[in-house]
Amino acid sequence: MSSPISYFFSCVFVIIAHGAMLFNAFQNGNYESVNDVITLCAAVIGLDAAYFIVMPFFKQRTYAVDFMLLLILNMSNIFQSCFGGVHLDLKHFITCIAALVSCRIGCIACRNHRWIQDKKKFVWVGIGVLMVVIFLFCGSRSMWIDLGFMTIQPSEFIKPLLVLACAASISEQQNKHKVLCFNVVYENLILFGIVAAVILFQWWCRDLGSIPTFAAIYASGFLLRICYPKAKFSKKTLIIAGSCVAVAGIVAVILAPPYVKDRLFVDIWSDPDGNGYQQSKALIGIAEGGWFGKGPGEGFLHNVFAYESDIVFATISEEWGLLYALMTVLMLLVIVAMPLVNPPRSYYHATMCAGVCAAFTVQMALNIFGSCNMIPFTGVTLPFISAGGSSMVTSGLMIGMIAAAQSPVFKNPKPKKSRKQAKRRTS
Amino acid sequence: MKSIRRCQHIMTLFLLAFIAGIVTLTVRINKQAPFYMSHSENYELGKVYDRKGDVLFDGSGNGDYPNNHFIDVGNLIGDDKGQMENTLVAQNIDSLNNYSFNSGLVKKGGKAAIYTTLDHKANRAAYDAFMGADGCAVAYNYKTGELLVCTSLPNIDPSKGYAGLENMKSGTLMQKAMYRTVPGSTQKVSTVISAMEIMGQSALFSKKFSCSGYYINKSDGKIDCHNSWGHGEQNIQQAVENSCNPFFAQLVEDSDLPLDRVKEMYTKLGYAVSDDETEAEVGYIDIDGIQCEKASTKLTDSSDFSTQWGCIGQGKTLVSPVQLMMWQSAIANETGKMTMPHLIEHVTDVNGKTVDTAETSYSDALFSSSTASAVKQILLTNGANHYQYSIPGYNVAIKSGTAQVKDGAEENALLVGFVDDTKNPIAFCVVLENKYSTPAVAENIVTTMLNSLCG
Repeated sequence: MSSPISYFFSCVFVIIAHGAMLFNAFQNGNYESVNDVITLCAAVIGLDAAYFIVMPFFKQRTYAVDFMLLLILNMSNIFQSCFGGVHLDLKHFITCIAALVSCRIGCIACRNHRWIQDKKKFVWVGIGVLMVVIFLFCGSRSMWIDLGFMTIQPSEFIKPLLVLACAASISEQQNKHKVLCFNVVYENLILFGIVAAVILFQWWCRDLGSIPTFAAIYASGFLLRICYPKAKFSKKTLIIAGSCVAVAGIVAVILAPPYVKDRLFVDIWSDPDGNGYQQSKALIGIAEGGWFGKGPGEGFLHNVFAYESDIVFATISEEWGLLYALMTVLMLLVIVAMPLVNPPRSYYHATMCAGVCAAFTVQMALNIFGSCNMIPFTGVTLPFISAGGSSMVTSGLMIGMIAAAQSPVFKNPKPKKSRKQAKRRTS
Repeated sequence: MKSIRRCQHIMTLFLLAFIAGIVTLTVRINKQAPFYMSHSENYELGKVYDRKGDVLFDGSGNGDYPNNHFIDVGNLIGDDKGQMENTLVAQNIDSLNNYSFNSGLVKKGGKAAIYTTLDHKANRAAYDAFMGADGCAVAYNYKTGELLVCTSLPNIDPSKGYAGLENMKSGTLMQKAMYRTVPGSTQKVSTVISAMEIMGQSALFSKKFSCSGYYINKSDGKIDCHNSWGHGEQNIQQAVENSCNPFFAQLVEDSDLPLDRVKEMYTKLGYAVSDDETEAEVGYIDIDGIQCEKASTKLTDSSDFSTQWGCIGQGKTLVSPVQLMMWQSAIANETGKMTMPHLIEHVTDVNGKTVDTAETSYSDALFSSSTASAVKQILLTNGANHYQYSIPGYNVAIKSGTAQVKDGAEENALLVGFVDDTKNPIAFCVVLENKYSTPAVAENIVTTMLNSLCG
């Protein structure tokens, strides 16, 4: 259990960090009325305080992940509320709360690895259901389902399920079956089939940005599989797998539709008003911001499409400075790297953490490097920082998995005795 | 536990790859930020100043300047509009970028600037002395290399824009001092230096050739002298003062002056020397990013008509006024080494901090000190005997030239030399195009320029 003293000082640290940001917004920010700043302060500090009170009700070995998550979410809340002018972004604030809740759900659901492993068929079914939903309501028309009051991106929810699918089938590695002259693990084939189906489906849906994330989740699971258990890395397998990936990549580029090729090979500075619009503006914004930024709400990037999601790294850099944007990324890395400091207590949890780490790093890389023109711009979200409820909730779920790995449950829950049985024993 | 560690290794792999990417991104942004800023609407260039703080270029575009304030330096200083590439601003645009990533965007008040060595007042005086005629004037301190005057006509005030570009006179957008022109008899200075290095001073001074107004060379080519009555028998000093073409034609034909050695000497001086078999590539002298063309000539045979004219200053010989002036520094300093000219005195960054300061540099020795001293004496004598009234008040070493251009339809007047004065060590070159079509006189331009610089 975390000691009360460390818990208290962690609370103080989070409050000071958010307080410093809010002070910066007050001092250097662009706002019409000071009430806007006060409202934002109340929301941020209020959420901090509420979470500090609620957290101890969930008994855990450590609250490090929770503190980090709260720190990042309220940073994100402040960033989003300051873009273009300081005022509370209520929608983003609500999605931050949703992320905290989903983190808690993810943590509770994954604490007992035996329980969640038993539910792996439900995970497969869940992925299938989501694909059917995408097929029926999204397809190649749109990535979102519009519910009127909110939009949902169903493909986001496949990510945590895929992490679970990769982790849940890890224990089956010993169950090899002889098929022709091959030793086959059925679950591996099923998993491969699921991933292939998801990727092809995303291709069909023209949601190419999320394919690398799915591929990374599977790649981490695959790497763990080929070295399980007590095994050496099979160089032959690695070479074959690597070659397959390379061939698949080349074929994908060749077969890619024209709009994808345009994005892959665009020279943003020769087409700054076309395919290079967002990236060139993002880079100009970063340059104008310098290390220390122009001030909260003082930037111009809030006039650019997807400033709060796809190019959010640049928008933060412009207003808060590259230093702050890099610190935010560092926070995200720290929370994902937490299992390196506090090792997961079971192999199942470790596999899950590896999947989450793969998903987060690839998604962060796609967002940051894509918007800065280092790699093709795909338009994926930056976990917890970009606006978007679906991304927030699924990212929360995945961080919940990391939190679960820090405070797992090993014992099987004891079967509850009925009152009649108890009476019999006493008599 | 081993399996868990393996998971951690894979996580570490992902995290390290990402961190490597972030580090690369940070370095890249830091390096390329000025380029990104050049596409920004908030992009603002700094100013260019002359040596006394007068503005020569204002990147903000908001300054209030007198009409045609920049007309004398327009095609040297240039601007960022992309019409003139071989200019100070175009070649040093990064130094003028009122931005650094460390400081971020500085709205109004960035102090990025280039402080030049130019004297705007003297430059304007020289420009006005042309009285509207075409040509160029260039002067620099032959001790320090500071370029003091560099103007050419026709010129443009870039702050007024480029409307009517197609109707502008040829050469408006180029600083003529940086480009090769026919040197006329100023070329004889190079020939004297070469002859002195090859033959030795005593042998050269002992040479005497006769001029009867023309000379029929060994290949039956007729080399005319500007004095149709002839100069009679002369030595090298008299030939230089008289600028006698037949003397130099006979000197080139002389067996004591093998053409191969002349070619070597010319190449050492910086000429791209071609002959019948080879075509030499013209090089450039870099003056703070501005490319100045190096000299070129074609020498085939010592008795060849064109070769002899090449050594006299016509034929295929072309030299830029700046290079003519630079050779004068090697003579004036009596070292045989050229003082390399520079235009930028120092540069300040966006915060006003000096980031780059000029230092005087010299070329390798082109010829010996004794040759430099001897040639200096010849030119000083020429100045004392022929220019003490037309360029009064200055102890000038000088050589004039008349270059026939456009197939002889026009004649350009050239004056190249230096002031032999430790307080005002100024070397100069003036080219007055089509001298008979203008009331302007090259000597007056030199005098006006020197008066402004030394006054």
